[in-house]
Amino acid sequence: MGFANPAVNARRILGSIPTYLILTIGLLLAVIPFLLIFITALKSPAELGNAFALPQQFHWENFQRAWTQARFGTYFKSSLIVTLSVVGISCLLSLLTGYAFGQLRFPLKNSIFLLFLIGLMVPTEAYIIPLYYSLRAVHLTDTYWALILPQIGMSVCFGSFWMRGFFSGIPRDLVDASRVDGCNDWQTFWHVMIPMVLPGLWTMAVLFFIWTWNDFLLALVMITREGLRTLPLGLAMFQGRYTTDYTLTAAGATIVALPTLLFYVLFQRQFIRGVTAGAIKG
Amino acid sequence: MASVTFDHVTKKFGDVVALNDLNIKVEDREFLVLVGPSGCGKTTALRCLAGLEEVTSGRILIGDQVVNDIPPKDRDIAMVFQSYALYPHMTVFDNMAFGLKLRKFPKDEIKRRVEEAAQILGIETLLKRKPRELSGGQRQRVAVGRAIVREPKVFLFDEPLSNLDAKLRVQTRAEISKLHQRLQTTFIYVTHDQVEAMTMATRIAVMNKGILQQLDTPQNLYDKPANLFVAGFIGSPAMNFFSARLRKEQGELIIDTGDFAVKIPAEKRDLYAPYVDRQVIFGIRPEDIHNPTFAPPGIHAAPVESKVDVIELMGNEIFLYMVSGKNNYVARVDPRTRFKIGDTVQLVFNMDNFHLFNPAADSENPPAIR
Repeated sequence: MGFANPAVNARRILGSIPTYLILTIGLLLAVIPFLLIFITALKSPAELGNAFALPQQFHWENFQRAWTQARFGTYFKSSLIVTLSVVGISCLLSLLTGYAFGQLRFPLKNSIFLLFLIGLMVPTEAYIIPLYYSLRAVHLTDTYWALILPQIGMSVCFGSFWMRGFFSGIPRDLVDASRVDGCNDWQTFWHVMIPMVLPGLWTMAVLFFIWTWNDFLLALVMITREGLRTLPLGLAMFQGRYTTDYTLTAAGATIVALPTLLFYVLFQRQFIRGVTAGAIKG
Repeated sequence: MASVTFDHVTKKFGDVVALNDLNIKVEDREFLVLVGPSGCGKTTALRCLAGLEEVTSGRILIGDQVVNDIPPKDRDIAMVFQSYALYPHMTVFDNMAFGLKLRKFPKDEIKRRVEEAAQILGIETLLKRKPRELSGGQRQRVAVGRAIVREPKVFLFDEPLSNLDAKLRVQTRAEISKLHQRLQTTFIYVTHDQVEAMTMATRIAVMNKGILQQLDTPQNLYDKPANLFVAGFIGSPAMNFFSARLRKEQGELIIDTGDFAVKIPAEKRDLYAPYVDRQVIFGIRPEDIHNPTFAPPGIHAAPVESKVDVIELMGNEIFLYMVSGKNNYVARVDPRTRFKIGDTVQLVFNMDNFHLFNPAADSENPPAIR
């Protein structure tokens, strides 16, 4: 590299300019709205005129007001209960269905898998009303179950599809080797397969987290009690009531967005490894 | 240590018969090689023995115990896979120790065995690495190491060398032979490479289309192939075959291919006399065809004139691809031979070592006339 021809070097730098330009524009488009909301959350109502101007003084108390006065603390708790239950249970179930579809041979395997795919293809809007009546019939509306159970159903459809790919990618020889080494089915699953599908599992967990955390429609239809509202629903309702207090809305929106952002940043490496798994030979 | 018996074993996958009434008795401490072209059933036989496939009918015994219904983990066997099948998330040490850990061996015993095996295989320095940080040859050693530490009754090898480069393959071949001598255990080894089979085996089982063709020592397979398939499979370059007719002329027995005719030596006449005026297949190995100048003395030499088509110089020998009328054949001659392409030359067939097969008995795979 050190001996490279300067002309060639210059051409390489010139050539990469458009790439960086496009990436920068993309980055700005993605980040600016978040920044504006965050800045707005720190302003006083009087400073709202120019969206791009920085506040003269950071009003951190807006977050505190949103948390207590606007009940975002309660919504946060609901979101956390629902999301963690959904992510945990869905991951567990998807591991099992993915294993079954990817590794086992059983009658009607492909037909059953097709059913899961249908679950993946039908939009929530199509079945949300009948689902509401079904859940009301068993007295589950206005409970966390009304959010957790359907969300698990939707997640497992995707999860089965997703994990099946990872499980079917495990070489047959490895499974055979573990059986000769002394594993029963359960030990093969636990000691050999789980470690191999781990990148896929992490990615799936991140996706489940984001989808469940951001879900709005299900909460809107199923939940009427304020104490059970999740963050996106709480935010929407809050907007309806306090349309004038944009700083509070912005603080609430930041509270809604922050956990997914953190979750993603924490598991970013695993996430990318899962998405690109199989792209390069291990 | 144990013997292994395939007793009338048949394995079907749907309508496909992968093993057809297989009968093999592998003696204790024997090095048996199962050899044959791909799809011949050799790997299926090994997998049935390992318990990775269930047999459709028949019995498999390890020692005196029928193992048909015993799961792989309880058969006391270890297997080396073609792909090595190392666990990618475990270190070399853990890969080798895994089987022992599952069997709840004490920690120091595991450590002792793994280190000992690593030393035998020369991989002591790799124990902390992951498989992806190893070369193909090193992975192969780890796979063997994983089998050794278990100290099983029977070692199974499924084409363990086919992913190595040519040089490493030769080296590892010798090492596996040495390992067999050292461990004094029953080895069953699957390969499609007849050179591997010939160099390593105590006995070889040649298979084709799910059927055992011949089970014998390497030398006997080479000298006395039971049928056309074995004759063509064992030996490289392969044996030359000619469609021919046996004829009797002034008391002599002659093999007549239409393009050339060779005399059968007097002491073999009685054996082949019943086949006079019948169609046979005449087989002779390339190494039994000589340049007359360098032919070994005292052989029953039958001269044959043919045209040189291709010459391959190997250094220590020369392969001549010859054409005689409608017949093509290969001769493996002395390196001092100076022929040119297009020359019509005389070679001699060593009629002490030839084979006749009887197509009337089985047109697909004629048996040798004995």
